[in-house]
Amino acid sequence: MCERALTQVKFNKDGDLLFSVSKDHVICVWFSQNGERLGTYHGHQGAVWTIDSNPSTSILASGAADNTIRLWEIKTGRLIKTWEFPTAVKRVEFSEDGEYLLATTEQRMGHLGTIVVFPINPDVNGEQAAEPSLRITCTTSKATVAAWSYLSKYIIAGHEDGTISQYDAKTGEQLLNVPVHERGTLITDMQMSPDKTYFITSSKDKTAKILDVDNLKVMKQFVTDTPLNSAAMTPKKDFVILGGGQEARDVTTTAARQGKFEARFHHKIFEDDIGRVRGHFGPLNTIAVHPAGTAYASGGEDGYVRLHHFDKAYFDFMYEVERTRAQH
Amino acid sequence: MASTRREWAEDDEFDDPNALPANEIISNPDGTKTMITYRLADNGKKIKTTRKIKISVVKERVNPRVAERREWPKFGREKGHPPGPDLTTTTIGENIVFKPNPQWRQKEKDEEATGSVKAQLKDKKVSCRICQGDHFTARCPFKDTLAPVGEAPPDDSRPGSPDLAAAPGGSYVPPHLRNKGKDAGAGSSFSSGRERDDLATLRVTNLSEFAEEQDLRDMFERFGRVTRVFLAKDRETGRAKGFAFVSYQDRMDAQRACEKMDGFGYGHLILKVEFAKRSQ
Repeated sequence: MCERALTQVKFNKDGDLLFSVSKDHVICVWFSQNGERLGTYHGHQGAVWTIDSNPSTSILASGAADNTIRLWEIKTGRLIKTWEFPTAVKRVEFSEDGEYLLATTEQRMGHLGTIVVFPINPDVNGEQAAEPSLRITCTTSKATVAAWSYLSKYIIAGHEDGTISQYDAKTGEQLLNVPVHERGTLITDMQMSPDKTYFITSSKDKTAKILDVDNLKVMKQFVTDTPLNSAAMTPKKDFVILGGGQEARDVTTTAARQGKFEARFHHKIFEDDIGRVRGHFGPLNTIAVHPAGTAYASGGEDGYVRLHHFDKAYFDFMYEVERTRAQH
Repeated sequence: MASTRREWAEDDEFDDPNALPANEIISNPDGTKTMITYRLADNGKKIKTTRKIKISVVKERVNPRVAERREWPKFGREKGHPPGPDLTTTTIGENIVFKPNPQWRQKEKDEEATGSVKAQLKDKKVSCRICQGDHFTARCPFKDTLAPVGEAPPDDSRPGSPDLAAAPGGSYVPPHLRNKGKDAGAGSSFSSGRERDDLATLRVTNLSEFAEEQDLRDMFERFGRVTRVFLAKDRETGRAKGFAFVSYQDRMDAQRACEKMDGFGYGHLILKVEFAKRSQ
């Protein structure tokens, strides 16, 4: 559907819109019901790395390799605000109430990686703040991904060296920093549960882990045979979807089947590998699950966004223990 | 034309041969509607399309915000495009059956195990039973002169055949190997008969495709007793392919027939007759 490798796909809060960003500088918005494209947002001068919409689906934030964060009016595609940075922006996320936007910036050209927080004016025509309200500098290892915890209490960040940090969202003080993934392996994705009390991380060390936001304890671990680029949890059913595949630069040397370009479904509680969905012919870069748990979208290095709606077999699936419990 | 006065009989309909009748919509008593539309095809023909439509109302409750967003006009690159998915950007993927199953991996492993037998055989080297070379025994250049390694050279002139015929019951023995060894010396009626046949068989070519087997038999019976006439026919059309074989009981008769019939005009063509070459 897109022209170049996808970097992130995301549903809005109601799940009717799907945003996709790719390395071709253009942001697309699609209707999740039928895959129809509603529009595109033009203005970025580099690969767009990340995207998020605010809870009321009025403002869209995007971060790109042209060292900017841009705010857009979702309805019309109008650019509202541009914030300039010295380095590329790799992750943006709105807080649960839409009052704040966090962003992580790259470590490059002598600049350290930072996590910044901007206050957001929910009025699309209103004035936006010029300066961030909080700036956290990552001295040891840059943050690749970051997310808000419940009630915007903490900011959780995943680092390039495989550690995960917990910051106080008010003061920016680092409360915890624990090594979670194999040392020196990049954390590629972090997605919060719907209630934002636990989250899943994916890493190049071929594992995905579910952690508690309060104490950063690993609760579940999913082991696969390929470097992972993305991990998502499905509401309604206790599954996780993992996506990955071989590095893009090695793809041409192997067959599609060996590349492991499949969405992997694991059971969230039992950690079992329960199935795969094929379709992409490149590694999966990003996965997003519909907030109602009825569909999921995946974006691949091959330039396609695939939107899958779940059918009855998916919702009917139960483990033996679940089935017996359901009967009683 | 427009200024000239029209006759009352010249109705509009007849005026223009390309005029299309008006579209019709008929409401049927069972609640369906029949739509009849007319259009002109590329070759100038009128095409009448009759469609029967049943309208059923499906009520769906949606979030008002979602419903409002559905009405949003398109923007950016999609600006001005009509509602509905655009085929240039959106394609419907194939239906993927996804059945969660914790044992799926085990199943796949079983399948892989059966597949590995094939892989094992793939790696196995082909070796000739006669000369140990890396080709099949049947392709061995020495197969007519040498016996397979580790076997006594058979008395029979054809190596390999007796042991095949002597294979334990149950395994398939091709027809040409059956009864081998039992009456090889006694002269199997089949093979020796075949030899005799070849000696007195003529090949007739340049036949017309309307040639008949009976005509050929009549022509060639003048020279002696004909045991067999075979006219090659096309399997689909049933017509002659242009060649035939005629077998005589006596080789001398065949010799005479060959001399007389070569160059004989049959139908509109000149026949060519020669002794059939022995089949390999």
